[in-house]
Amino acid sequence: MNLLDLVLLLPLVGFLAGLVLPRASEHLIRVSALVFSLVTFGVSVGLGFGVRAGEQFVTDVPWIRSPNIHYHVSVDGLSVWLIILSTFLTPICVAISWKYIQSRVKEFYAFLLLLELGLVGVFAAQDLFLFYVFWEISLVPMYFLIGIWGHERRIYAAVKFFLYTMAGSMLMLAAIIFLYNRTGTFDYPGLMEMLSSGRLSLSGGEQMLLFLAFFIAFAIKVPLFPLHTWLPDAHVEAPTAGSVMLASVMLKMGCYGLVRFCLPMFPGAARSCAPWIAVLAIIGIIYGALVAMVQPNMKKLVAYSSVSHLGFVVLGIFSFTQIGLDGAVYQMLNHGISTGALFILVGYLYERRHSLFIKDFGGVATPAPWLSAIFLVTTLASIGLPILNNFVGEFMVLQGSAQANYTWTVFAALGVILSACYMLWLYQRVFYGAAGQEVSSHVHDLSAREFAGIIPLVVMMVWMGVYSQSFLPPVSVADGRVLDQTKVNVRFQVKTPALKSQTAEVARVR
Amino acid sequence: MYASLVPTSAEMIRFLPELILTVVATLFMVLDPLLGRQSRHVYGHFSILALLGAMAAAVYVYRDPGAAFSGMLMVDGFATFFRVVVIGVGILTVLPSYRYLDREDAETGEYHALLLFSIVGQCVMVTANELIMIFIGLEISSIASYVLAGYLRDDRRANEAALKYFLLGSFATAFFLYGVALIYGMTGSTNLATVRRAILGGSLGSAPIFIGVAAALMFVGLGFKVSGAPFQIWAPDVYQGAPTPVAAFLSAGPKAAAFAIFLRIFLTAFQPIGPGWEPLVWVSALASMTLGNFAALTQSNIKRLLAYSSIAHAGYVLVALAARSNVGTAAAMFYMAAYAFMNIGAFAVVSHLSGKGERYLKVEDFAGLGAKQPGTAALLSIFLLSLIGVPLTGGFFGKFYIFKAALDSHLVWLTVLGLLNSAVAAYYYLRILVMMYMREPGEAASRIQPLTPGLRAALVLPALGTLVLGIFPGWVLDFAGRSSVFVR
Amino acid sequence: MLMDTILFYLFAALVLGGGILTITRRNAVHSAIFLILSLLGVAGLYLLQSAEFLFAVQIVLYVGGIMVLFLFVIMLVNLDQAAKEKQFNRQWTVALACAGLVGAEIFYFLAKGAGAFQLAKGTAEANTGMGNTERLADALFSQYLLPFEIASLLLLVAVVGSVVMAKKRI
Repeated sequence: MNLLDLVLLLPLVGFLAGLVLPRASEHLIRVSALVFSLVTFGVSVGLGFGVRAGEQFVTDVPWIRSPNIHYHVSVDGLSVWLIILSTFLTPICVAISWKYIQSRVKEFYAFLLLLELGLVGVFAAQDLFLFYVFWEISLVPMYFLIGIWGHERRIYAAVKFFLYTMAGSMLMLAAIIFLYNRTGTFDYPGLMEMLSSGRLSLSGGEQMLLFLAFFIAFAIKVPLFPLHTWLPDAHVEAPTAGSVMLASVMLKMGCYGLVRFCLPMFPGAARSCAPWIAVLAIIGIIYGALVAMVQPNMKKLVAYSSVSHLGFVVLGIFSFTQIGLDGAVYQMLNHGISTGALFILVGYLYERRHSLFIKDFGGVATPAPWLSAIFLVTTLASIGLPILNNFVGEFMVLQGSAQANYTWTVFAALGVILSACYMLWLYQRVFYGAAGQEVSSHVHDLSAREFAGIIPLVVMMVWMGVYSQSFLPPVSVADGRVLDQTKVNVRFQVKTPALKSQTAEVARVR
Repeated sequence: MYASLVPTSAEMIRFLPELILTVVATLFMVLDPLLGRQSRHVYGHFSILALLGAMAAAVYVYRDPGAAFSGMLMVDGFATFFRVVVIGVGILTVLPSYRYLDREDAETGEYHALLLFSIVGQCVMVTANELIMIFIGLEISSIASYVLAGYLRDDRRANEAALKYFLLGSFATAFFLYGVALIYGMTGSTNLATVRRAILGGSLGSAPIFIGVAAALMFVGLGFKVSGAPFQIWAPDVYQGAPTPVAAFLSAGPKAAAFAIFLRIFLTAFQPIGPGWEPLVWVSALASMTLGNFAALTQSNIKRLLAYSSIAHAGYVLVALAARSNVGTAAAMFYMAAYAFMNIGAFAVVSHLSGKGERYLKVEDFAGLGAKQPGTAALLSIFLLSLIGVPLTGGFFGKFYIFKAALDSHLVWLTVLGLLNSAVAAYYYLRILVMMYMREPGEAASRIQPLTPGLRAALVLPALGTLVLGIFPGWVLDFAGRSSVFVR
Repeated sequence: MLMDTILFYLFAALVLGGGILTITRRNAVHSAIFLILSLLGVAGLYLLQSAEFLFAVQIVLYVGGIMVLFLFVIMLVNLDQAAKEKQFNRQWTVALACAGLVGAEIFYFLAKGAGAFQLAKGTAEANTGMGNTERLADALFSQYLLPFEIASLLLLVAVVGSVVMAKKRI
């Protein structure tokens, strides 16, 4: 048993402990969830240090003999930060739900920890079957989180969320089974090895169908335009903790899947689809931003901004450049931190005013200066101000896409400008102006518990913006491996424009 | 082939599970007038003991597998697997029946006797290796089931259910028998292995057409018994009208046995003409899945909903049959076991919630069950998630193995359509989950009684089974894989 | 040989005439008695085929057992009501079509002769060696012992089932 197994085991133990604890002792349940999630986070930080030293924390035990399914988990630069992001946000979600969730406390925290298990498992799994299992497991608690503790239209949103994801994952399951029947293994490294050694070679048609099966499953989760329609509903109706986990981590499952599976396993199909996908991503960037601009509902605005931000991630992934891919992965983390923070702050506002509509606010800065200041930092991070985290990611993605196709970059950059428009406009309407009677009587400044929930995120925004070198090197190594894999068995030669000054430039950015 | 007049003791022992059940069931008939009303639970206790004994015997006799009674029976791994499944289904049916029969104030003696007889019939079916034997087993199982479906004589729905089931069932059996007669006329034998050799031998002249006709007739008969489309029309009415524990039993026990003979007949006797019948099964599988799932979307009565869902699940198993391989057989075996657990569990909750006279059967009546009885709701959630096919439940692995087998046999489109179908199915199962957890308690949930020990066992055991099959399916699957090779 | 032929036509006429009279009589008791006549004719045909066992079974079971039960039941239910009802209902056209279809099928196979429907060897050679009854007994009590015994269980289940469905609340 290594650190990674411990990270997987602790939420499970916490989940079971939550089930065993008596229903009446709500405080005990909250404390237990907080302790378990904090300990999990503490342990998972060890993974971060380990990966920097090149350790992988592999565990490979047979689970079922026929078909040959293994409990095979490990981490690399691609997954480690996503795992830590999940474990980092879980205690924060426990903290911000402390007062907000008053009904069925026991189930809430149990589901939250189960969700954490599913998310960590998705990122750690090295066996396609195990990956699918965790992928589906994470679906169930989120369905309940939205459906039980959400807002008015929660049931519609929850069912829509479940069915969209389910439909996608069924196609993925078919593809996984197909691969197994062809190779006799679910093992991801084994499959990679077979692909690069040429022992597994798929015909063009097969590769395209398999790629599409995986891609649709992931694109629904990302979500890529035009498969994004579940997302605004789910985000708006979910309770704050649900929105945070959904936006910050669950969407990354899709992006992660694209990088981990779609690119290296089906490089030919991925490359020939890349232009189309990039176009969809750019449409998503601009469409998401435009729709966000006209939203009267803060949560919906943040939700559509996610569609826009994740367009960048997909664009970076399908640029097939080292820097674009690094940027995409980094942007996943950035989006996790900054959008998570936005949802938490919107949640704080909702707890005070019991409304999500922008028109019900105005002048919040007067009664709640700290809240406004932190919101401002988060807003600036979200629109990509230098020295804050999103800037680094967006810049790298744009640079990567510029290497692939300059036109893409031009259009994608429009999204950056638009994001500044909608976010700053939101900030202006909510925080400036004269405070109405409702606002000044109900809105008060942050409590200590609320500070504890948001400050770690602000710290991370600054840290990731200022010193990205703490995170990027392992990511680059992993991405480099993915890129290498996309060049084997690809019939056409890959054009990589040789920019001499590029390396120096990147170094400066970092 | 001619055996001696007196069967050997080894042969008798291979028939032991059926003997135990028959003796106990007959004993019930004798005891009924002697015991008064106050000892109405005795029959249930004895049934469980008998079923446990029969299950132990079924496992025990597998130590010495082989044919018995001049090739009438074939005690192999396949037979043992399904024997254990149908006997297990029997146990899980008896457990919730205690409370149900008390509530509806029904006689217990005949109920349990008929249940045991029905299980005897199913055991005979799954063990038989010969068409006459299969037919007699099928009839014993069916006639007992017809009566059980109409067991509450004063209930109009139950009467309708029993009558419909009886008429259509007899019709289907007639089809099956017609097929048997044709086969006997063609090949001069009713032994499956002999029939197969006769077909392979090619000495049948113009007969292949008639063999095809016979296969089609048997397909009709068996298609009815497994409620596969287009012979599924009876299922919703019968499930709705029958007493809930009986509906649970019908959806698992007779269905498992019918699938067992379906597999055995079509993969031994008719295996040589496989390419001929595969399109039939293909169409039937797709039609069952699609009709079942889409019809279930609009149901408001929970028993009808589960009936349509059981039609859809029959479709999944037909996919395994269409695969025409040992992997497919193993997948079907595993699926029937997993399905028995999850479906009986779901029906047990329905039986518990519905109240006296089965008043609360609407999907809306599940409202707030999660708040009123969290334990029951959690167990039902496990069953529903398993029916949806979420990982770590038996239903998921069942589906996984079936579609894996189908892809192995290059049934790509059937696989894709089947998987998309199961995404559609998620919707109506989710409706129940939504009701339980996301709505305020209604009348039904407020009036719900506490769980009795029998019901608790009837819920916890299938839940454990579902989870075990979902997390450690290896052992069961290995056994199924080893037993999927028929003696030809 | 001539005697056989005469007897065959005699029994065949008995079967057909009894059958027709069974369905045309208004009085149910008369119908039942004509049915007995028809069944006796069938028994006679069995005897002509030297199927003594079937002959005995036909007489003992059908004529002696089942038909007597029929008569009991007929006498128990209200006969006047039944006598007044119309003997043909609206579905007679469908019935006619079905009967015509079956008739055409039979004529087709009769016209094609023995080769139309190829039978397996085992079933065709019935009249060799032992007598009919012995062969039957041998098959029933050796090879088909189990189905023979289990069939009794089937009957038991049917009896229990009908009692459960029919009995009044005790």
